[in-house]
Amino acid sequence: MFTSLSFRQGIKHAMGIPAVGLGSSMFAFGAYLKSSGFDLFQSFASSFFTFALPGQFVMAETLVAGGTLLNIFLAVFLTNARLYPMTVNLIPVIRHPHYPKWKYYILAHFVAVTSWFNMFAIHKTLPQEEKFDYFLGLGGFLWANSILCTVLGFLISDFVSHEILVGLVFINPMYFLVMTISNLVEKKLITSILLGSFFSIILFYLIPDWSIVISGLLSGTIGFFIFRKESNDQ
Amino acid sequence: MTSNYIYLSILVATIATYSCRAFGVFSSRNLSTESPIFHWIKCVSIGIISAVITKIILFPSVGLLIESTLESRIISTLVALAVYFLFKKNVIVSIFVSTMTFLLINFYL
Repeated sequence: MFTSLSFRQGIKHAMGIPAVGLGSSMFAFGAYLKSSGFDLFQSFASSFFTFALPGQFVMAETLVAGGTLLNIFLAVFLTNARLYPMTVNLIPVIRHPHYPKWKYYILAHFVAVTSWFNMFAIHKTLPQEEKFDYFLGLGGFLWANSILCTVLGFLISDFVSHEILVGLVFINPMYFLVMTISNLVEKKLITSILLGSFFSIILFYLIPDWSIVISGLLSGTIGFFIFRKESNDQ
Repeated sequence: MTSNYIYLSILVATIATYSCRAFGVFSSRNLSTESPIFHWIKCVSIGIISAVITKIILFPSVGLLIESTLESRIISTLVALAVYFLFKKNVIVSIFVSTMTFLLINFYL
C-alpha cells in the first residue's frame, strides 16, 4: 500500500499548490492557537485528530469564548457537516473489492475540501484498483503537511508579522473558491454553486447556525432536479 | 481554560468531525457511481462547499479574518475570479494576486 506507485503519485499530486493552499492557512492557524493560549502539543493534536480547518477555528473560538463542550460539538458539527456528503460521494469513486471495509474508515480521515476536489479532478485517469492508494497518498500527505504547518505556525509565528498571518488565512478560502469554479462544467453543479452561495447569504440572517447545511441541501437538490437529465461527468 | 479542558474540546471537535466522515463511509456502502443519489450528493456537496466559502468571505465569525474589512474580502474575491479567467485558469496567479490585493487594501492603503 505505502510502497505502491499510485501512493507515491498521490503524494506528488499533493505537493505544490494543494499543499500550499491548505498549509498556509494551517500555519496561520498554529499562530492563532498560540495567541489563544493553546500549547504546542494541543495545536499538534488539533490538526492531527480533527484535520478540518473551518471546524478547528470554530472549536478554538468557541472554547475561548467560554462555550460548553456541547456548544463546541454542535458548532463544529454544523461547520464540518459538509464532510458527510463529500465522503458519501468520494467512497464509491475509489472503492475496490481488494480493500477491506475497515480501511475506508481510516481513509475517510483524509477527506477534506482540498483532497476531495483534487481527487475528483484526476480520478478518471486512474485505474480503479489504484484509486485507493492514490487518495491515501494525496490526502495523507495533505494531512501530514497540515500538522507540520500548524506546528511551524505555532513555533515561528513570533517572527512573522500579524498582517502576513491574516493574509495567509485568506489564501485558503481563495483556493477553495478557485477549485470550486474549476467545476463550472455541468449545469447542475453551476446551479448548485451559485444557489449555495445565494442561499447562504439569505439564511445567514434567518438561521445562522444552520445556514450552511440547509443552503447546501437546497441548492444541491434544486440543481440536481432541474438538470437531472443532463449527462453526468462525475 | 485548563489544559484538560482544551484536550476535551479537541476530542469533542474530533468526534463531531470524524462522525461526519465515518457516517459518510457507512452511508455509501451500497451506493453506485451510476446512481442518481450519487449525483444528487455531489450537487449537495458542492452546494455546501460554496456556502462555506461565501460564509467565510462575507461573514467570518471566527479567526483572523475578522480583522479584515468586508470590502477588502469582496474586492479580493472578485479579483481572484477575474484573474482566474483572464490568465487561462491559472490557480497560482489567481490566489497570489487576490491575496496581495487583500493585504494591500487592509494594511497598506
